[in-house]
Amino acid sequence: MNQGRVLHWFALLVALGAAIVFLGLLTDTIREGLPHLTWQFLTTAPDERRGGGGIAPEIVNTVVMVGGALLVTAPLGLVVAIYQAEWQGRVHDGGVIDQVRATWLSVPSVVVGFIVYRVAVAWWHWPLSLATGGLALAVMNWPVMVTVSISALKRVPHAYREASLALGATRFDTVRRVVLPAALAELIDGWGWALARLAGESAALIITAGINVSAHWSVWGPGETLAVYIWYVRTEGVGADAGGVAAATALTLMMFIAVTLWLSGRLADWRRRAGH
Amino acid sequence: MAPNIRTESLTVSYRRTVVLRQISLEAVGGEVLALIGPSGCGKSTFLRALNRLVEETPGAHVTGRVFLGEMNIYSSAVDVTELRRRVGMVFQAPNPFPFSIFDNVAYGPRLRGVSDAAELRRIVERSLQEAALWDEVRGKLRRPALTLSGGQQQRLCIARALAVRPEVLLLDEPTAALDPVSTEKIEELVSNLRGRYTIVMVTHNLRQAARVSDRTAFFDDGSLVEVGLTRQIFTAPRDPRTEQYLTGRYFP
Repeated sequence: MNQGRVLHWFALLVALGAAIVFLGLLTDTIREGLPHLTWQFLTTAPDERRGGGGIAPEIVNTVVMVGGALLVTAPLGLVVAIYQAEWQGRVHDGGVIDQVRATWLSVPSVVVGFIVYRVAVAWWHWPLSLATGGLALAVMNWPVMVTVSISALKRVPHAYREASLALGATRFDTVRRVVLPAALAELIDGWGWALARLAGESAALIITAGINVSAHWSVWGPGETLAVYIWYVRTEGVGADAGGVAAATALTLMMFIAVTLWLSGRLADWRRRAGH
Repeated sequence: MAPNIRTESLTVSYRRTVVLRQISLEAVGGEVLALIGPSGCGKSTFLRALNRLVEETPGAHVTGRVFLGEMNIYSSAVDVTELRRRVGMVFQAPNPFPFSIFDNVAYGPRLRGVSDAAELRRIVERSLQEAALWDEVRGKLRRPALTLSGGQQQRLCIARALAVRPEVLLLDEPTAALDPVSTEKIEELVSNLRGRYTIVMVTHNLRQAARVSDRTAFFDDGSLVEVGLTRQIFTAPRDPRTEQYLTGRYFP
């Protein structure tokens, strides 16, 4: 057997081992969570005193905060990316903007949560709320959006830009009429990925959006997300079925992420096919 | 009548590297001028200086003058957008946009505010006919341009350039990426466009230069070595470097 084959079998073995461990972990969560995962669980509010209850508000909060953060940061990130990739010439490493972006990308989310808490809650007197949590998510997500957008723009062949400029288009026209349509599939992929990533955020939200749900839903009221609820139930939950509720919530969150990625992938493919 | 395009002491540098030195060259209205020379001799840069596309490269610096008819295109009063409408360009690798065939050809006219559907259809049909592609794509205008073959894509790019009614066409090795049959079609097309447009064509294919051009200019290392009637350049070059290049014995 030559070296390549040995490496091939070794890699396969490791991958198989990882898959088995992963499936084992997943099986346990499914076994524990699936019995709780009923229509009622998805459509009612949590009820700690009578044990368990549902996760409807958590689902709504997750969608609102994550969606809101993405709606705000996707255009902002795209604007910065367009400036860097289309006007600044080339994106070279070591530039101040890139340095800030790389640092910001690597800051732990709990630190971002703390900073947003200090600014929004302590200075501006915003309440612990969906709005504050959404702000924290937006602050975390902005550099991600810039990165995702830059890589999407850089994958648009330079020849498209030249062809457009040579026809007498301005740079602005070129970006609007050629580069953005050509980059849209990649952008959609990136947005889906960012959405999935944000949906799993918990540390920053514990600090900024609180760990309970309000009886009177409002963006200025506290609201935990699915991820925060998992953390809360596992650490503070007193109900007998806390483990099951946490597992069922985890399954819901996983499905939410899977559906998000699947949908954005389909949408991106559909855009891609439109050009080819 | 297609205008002359003339350079006077055109010098182009990227950052500190001078890539074109003091080029004074004229393409006469309606003729096909071929630019030949070794790779990296500045032919493409020369072409890009004629529609100011060279300015889009960071660090590029242009001195000297370029006249399109009577207009110095580097004067500050010139609208680059309008200049590039008058001076169309086709690139080495076919680069249609990832849109439909129709939208590719209509791109230029739409930029200039043509939005009337019937008018756009007329322009698209005329341009595709002029680029000898109409018969192959008639009834398929809504198909993505990238489904066409390489040769068809290149003719589509020519149609796209023609759609804004330019006066000069710059062709940067337009057949370098194409098979012999497609190459022949493009050459035939260039011969047909001759007279209506002033055409400046960079090519690495010497036979192509001999076949389609009226006059040929030989560039070497950023300088214009000589220019003359294509027949004269190919049969009796004045400069020994030209002769060596044409006979395959030139090693810069």
